[in-house]
Amino acid sequence: MRETARTAAMAGLGVLVGGIALKTGASHTVWQIDPYKCSWCGLCATACVLQPSAVKCVQIYPMCGYCKLCTGYFEPEPNALNTAAENQLCPTGAIKRRALEDPYFEYSIEEELCIGCAKCVKGCTLFGNGSFHLQIRHDRCVNCNECSIAVVCPAQAISRVPADQPYKFKSREHHA
Amino acid sequence: MKQPPPQPHESAIALTRRGFLGALAGSAATATVGAAPAPPSRSNPYEYKVDHLFKTDPKHLLYDTHGTLRLPVSDGRRVAVGPENQIWVSAGKTLLIFTSGLEKLREIQALDVIRALAVDADGTVYVAVKDHVEVFDPQGRRREPWNIPAANTWFTGIAVAEKDVFAADARNRVVLRYDKSGRLLGRLGEKDTSRKIPGLIVPSPFLDVEVAPDGLLRVTNPGRHLVETYTFDGSLVGSWGKTSMGVEGFCGCCNPINIAMLSDGRCITCEKGIPRVKRYSAKGEFEGVVVGPESFPEGLRTGAVFNKWDGSMAGVDAATDRQGRVLVLDQASNTLRIMVPKKPAATT
Repeated sequence: MRETARTAAMAGLGVLVGGIALKTGASHTVWQIDPYKCSWCGLCATACVLQPSAVKCVQIYPMCGYCKLCTGYFEPEPNALNTAAENQLCPTGAIKRRALEDPYFEYSIEEELCIGCAKCVKGCTLFGNGSFHLQIRHDRCVNCNECSIAVVCPAQAISRVPADQPYKFKSREHHA
Repeated sequence: MKQPPPQPHESAIALTRRGFLGALAGSAATATVGAAPAPPSRSNPYEYKVDHLFKTDPKHLLYDTHGTLRLPVSDGRRVAVGPENQIWVSAGKTLLIFTSGLEKLREIQALDVIRALAVDADGTVYVAVKDHVEVFDPQGRRREPWNIPAANTWFTGIAVAEKDVFAADARNRVVLRYDKSGRLLGRLGEKDTSRKIPGLIVPSPFLDVEVAPDGLLRVTNPGRHLVETYTFDGSLVGSWGKTSMGVEGFCGCCNPINIAMLSDGRCITCEKGIPRVKRYSAKGEFEGVVVGPESFPEGLRTGAVFNKWDGSMAGVDAATDRQGRVLVLDQASNTLRIMVPKKPAATT
């Protein structure tokens, strides 16, 4: 009887330990930002162990308004709606603006230049449709055991996600 | 040099199990703190500075709050004024009807989430849900819903005139003109160079229409930051509006989101981004602020409740009554507030 109980206890412990290991094992999970929790604080640009950061802005085109006055691209009060550096919000000029049919413009991110500062994300979310948001790019992220951005993230927006579903993109379907 | 021999009391400390574990935990904590890198500074060198835009200069404030009502049903979205100054509010699928003093009279259930409503002079109410229009007679009985041809319709505004009903379809960037039986009579606001109509630009699901006291329509053109005037047959008569984060203009990518008309032709505008309700003259001159951004809850100001793309993007709606009051519905706090013009300061 005692032997049976001991075996059951050991088996239970094994399942528990195995479950925890599976859940926390770095080889099965990666870090990612929940765009709906992100508060655009700017720490992704400065707290990452990589410089420039592994965090990049992504553009969800189906959510974009293709606005002439894109509040993720332009300073809050730009001198003019053109591509002059003084009018651009992005500190590294990582957002590209391309004219489509009048009065629509397409905005895309040049990831090599993006530092993940979230200025554009805040502008787009506060005053636009929120199609810009941050994601950790896994072709760059070194998947630290403890993510140094997650440690300081005031919104606790960064957590481990399954490696086979490594991104948390916004989507229109999510909202609808 | 010889070390002094250990004193008996030093070598014979009675270390209990609890004390040992406590000491171990303390050492571990100390070691962890000592080994952890200093947290990075929380200052943000890339800060997007817009806080100053969320404050209203008191000299622009034209109205005082006369009363507020927390809605008894969640998801308050639109407000309108009906006969006898009754206040009609939509909340989810429910129509709430109040007296002008905010006493609840009754409620009506629609079949889907209500996105806009307009009340006719006889009490008939036209309710726009996502892709069709429901009609309720003055007793609250549902009439046959209008059959709207499937065209990815996304109604966000509705207005009623003597013989016509106008429904603003944000997705198709058009205002549809119906008679009161639901027969489609025409389309307004679409790009037409032969009629010198530049077309409605609607980046986010907000497009509103109102019938003005001059017998013409006012239609928002949010992507162009304009309020446009149309005849019922779709001729563009004029427009006004200015793009600006400043209080005199319309902010962000697309505003105003909703409008209401005062009986003398002045226009009340509602904005998102910088949530604010303002008053313009009949010619479109900025007159002042009804409710400023600082009066709305934090979620509305920070955009924390903006993350919806189904037309329920948190925003503000307004209506006016015959007393000249402005009724402001704030979706984020689900609160209706009655704003009355400030009394002029007494002069000696």
